[in-house]
Amino acid sequence: MNAHADAPPSFLGPRTGIAGILEIEGELVISGRVKGQIAAIRVVIAPGGYVEGDVIAFEVVIAGHMNGRVFAPTVTIEASAQVDGRIFHSSITIARGANVRGRTPWRPPSYFETLDKLPEERP
Amino acid sequence: MNLFNRNDKPAEKPADKPDTPSAPPKPATPPAAQTAAAPKAPDIKPEPPKPAPLPTPTTTPTTKGASMASVISKALKITGELESTEDIQIDGHIDGDVRGVGVKIGQNAKVKGTVYGDEVELAGTIEGKIESKKVTLGGTARMTGDVWFQEIKIDSGAYISGNLKPELGKQDSKAEIKPVAKPAANVSPLSTANGAAHA
Repeated sequence: MNAHADAPPSFLGPRTGIAGILEIEGELVISGRVKGQIAAIRVVIAPGGYVEGDVIAFEVVIAGHMNGRVFAPTVTIEASAQVDGRIFHSSITIARGANVRGRTPWRPPSYFETLDKLPEERP
Repeated sequence: MNLFNRNDKPAEKPADKPDTPSAPPKPATPPAAQTAAAPKAPDIKPEPPKPAPLPTPTTTPTTKGASMASVISKALKITGELESTEDIQIDGHIDGDVRGVGVKIGQNAKVKGTVYGDEVELAGTIEGKIESKKVTLGGTARMTGDVWFQEIKIDSGAYISGNLKPELGKQDSKAEIKPVAKPAANVSPLSTANGAAHA
């Protein structure tokens, strides 16, 4: 969390796309497209943002389009969000109007502490 | 989602065209005037000028939109390709190719791969290649690999290990010239040969 405070948040603009693996010791705000795997402390998928793949973070805020799996103790889904896939969480907020297709399985906080390897299962 | 998109569009339009800010407010004021006039007081028509405050909320998204270039901070490591049709500021590590319009690579940044752009400003490290019309290598730059450019600036202190190739974009003209020359050379012997055969 200290690294989070030190490093300025990374930002992907609406006309930016990344395909691959992203590892951040901090915050990542996505207005563009990401296809692949994201590991961060905090991830924000802004309205208009699109993520396809796996997201692992302490906190995830979704206001855009998420297609894939999310692993985070704290998850917030905004009204403008569209989610396809699974959201593993121990605390979740879903705003009225959000479009969530898939499951939101609960896991104890300890599950996320030991989350080094991703489960192989696919949504 | 629809509502959000609608809200986004007027914010983006002024960002794209800052030269014509007068155009977006004009269509914005008439509907605002109608909505304001309808529920409040239909009798009082002089009030519509009040929607003037509307442009101010639109200006705040405009400033946000203007600063919307992508930032890859120092804590971020990307393995894969990064592609953008806007400016990128890179302070982190990238293993893969980068495509952008204006690409700024900060002092502590490291890119392993090819950097494409209209304008590349390097203060960090690249192991790979630069292909850009305009290249600026700062004093702290460390470039390992070829640089393809049309225009270059190199500050003292920059380290370059590789070839400087100023013929970026000129390949095409060469490629065009060659095939033209070859057929021309081929045609004449053929025609003469044919002519000889006919004769």
